[in-house]
Amino acid sequence: MNATPELTLLQTCLMAVIQAVCVVLFIFIIVPLTIYAERKVLGHAQDRLGATRIAGHRVGLTGWLNRGMWRMGKVPFLSYWRGLPMLVGDIAKLFLKEDIVPTKADRAIFLVAPALSLIASVVVFAAVSFYPGALFTFPKFVPILGGVPFNGFITDMNVGLLFILGIASVGVYGIVLGAWASNSKYPLLGGLRSGAQIVSYEVPLTLSLLVPVVLTGTLNFNEMTRKLALETSPLAAPLMAVGFLVYFTCGFAETNRMPFDMPEAENELVAGFHTEYSGMRFGFFYLAEYINMVVVSALASAFFLGGPYLAPFGLHRFIQNLPLVGGPNALWYVGKMILLLFVFIWVRGTIPRYRYDQVMAVAWKYLIPFTLVLVVLAAAVRYAA
Amino acid sequence: MRKFLKTLIPVDIFKGMKLTGTHFAKVFSTANRRKVKMHVTDEYPEVPVKLAPRFRGRLTMLKDEQGEIKCVCCLACEKICPTQVITIESGKKEGRKTKIPTRYDFEMERCIFCEFCVESCGFDSIILNHQFELAAYNREDFSIGMLGQSQNMFGLTPVGKFSYSDED
Repeated sequence: MNATPELTLLQTCLMAVIQAVCVVLFIFIIVPLTIYAERKVLGHAQDRLGATRIAGHRVGLTGWLNRGMWRMGKVPFLSYWRGLPMLVGDIAKLFLKEDIVPTKADRAIFLVAPALSLIASVVVFAAVSFYPGALFTFPKFVPILGGVPFNGFITDMNVGLLFILGIASVGVYGIVLGAWASNSKYPLLGGLRSGAQIVSYEVPLTLSLLVPVVLTGTLNFNEMTRKLALETSPLAAPLMAVGFLVYFTCGFAETNRMPFDMPEAENELVAGFHTEYSGMRFGFFYLAEYINMVVVSALASAFFLGGPYLAPFGLHRFIQNLPLVGGPNALWYVGKMILLLFVFIWVRGTIPRYRYDQVMAVAWKYLIPFTLVLVVLAAAVRYAA
Repeated sequence: MRKFLKTLIPVDIFKGMKLTGTHFAKVFSTANRRKVKMHVTDEYPEVPVKLAPRFRGRLTMLKDEQGEIKCVCCLACEKICPTQVITIESGKKEGRKTKIPTRYDFEMERCIFCEFCVESCGFDSIILNHQFELAAYNREDFSIGMLGQSQNMFGLTPVGKFSYSDED
């Protein structure tokens, strides 16, 4: 890490704003792409095409090109490109739809809950470190920020992991409050299920994150990633592999994803906790789920897959001294995140939904004792090394 | 012991993941190639669907070389129709020995596409063609008749008129 120069108050504030905007931009680029990928990957896995068009495929330049390719007997490559406008269409639809508030709903809480859910999931990224140290330094000719480093993280706090776990568990308040404020039976059931499920899975999730904490002896995000990637003894590798599986399983339950999506089980509860929501408020819940997915995969790739330090297949040893790709690289980190997001979708296309009692049994009967053993083993490895 | 290990290690989940994963990879890698077609779906509105030769679509009335309707109003189809959707009224025409239908009503909303009418027809004057876009905008449009009706037996369905697959 470079020695950071002394910053003025204005520079600090500006940098904070710029970095926050960059991270939020990153989220709001990767989340729609995940939604797009979900439709495409599931479509391919089920022998169909997925989203291919938004509307009006006869008119315009793309329509003309596509028709030409179809005439030649080929599936047009633009049809893949054309699935993408569906994101814009979906978001426009969510914004333009009527925003209904039930008459007997608790209005204030009903309106605040989706925002709470969304904000809780976005704020977590304040402590996520995409790259240790400065990504680049602003050149001298930039007016105020000349010579100021642009870090690969927003803040580098000493209790980063605690912050993340604390904020991430606030997200369930949005779901439970929104469900309760709807003043309707199905949302209430969905919200209660979500509450119970997230409270259950918070325990093995945190316990499985204790494995890297015990191995490294710190809660600082950067330090943990670096120590796990470079300084942990190879004895810990099987432990970390198992810990990764447990953490990822709990991540599915935390984000209400497919095998554990009890709060939205549409064949039992109409739509689950967001039955009464419509328009962009529903969109907030929807986005929050996907941002939570990104959070879970970000943490998993940082703590279990080597973060920005390790390239897959031990490649980092050979390309250490190369420019651009050598050394820690934010692209590897993001690449691992994207891989894990793919696994989220892959699992959705594979494993059917569990029954509710099975969901709870997995957490309390298997994962919690299992992770407790893991933590003890991690302490043993720490002691041995 | 073995059962315990099976409980501990989620083998079945990994098997399932492998199955869907390899299938996805196969489909994904052949997605844009025409020769190896893994997708089950068709590009239907743009590409005409290849139907089986014996597909039973909408009832169509045939004409002979002179442009005359072949039907002689023997009422065989009307009698054999299990759902009784065919109504025929016969008339006379100058210079034609046999009768000619003045009204041939075919209420498609109750048709079961059994093709008995086609089989029973001794004059090969009706067939079930390959038109499967049978949707209509009004309920009345489902009764297909001869010329003058909104759906007649010589043209396309109201939806079929706007279909891409019937172009060219």
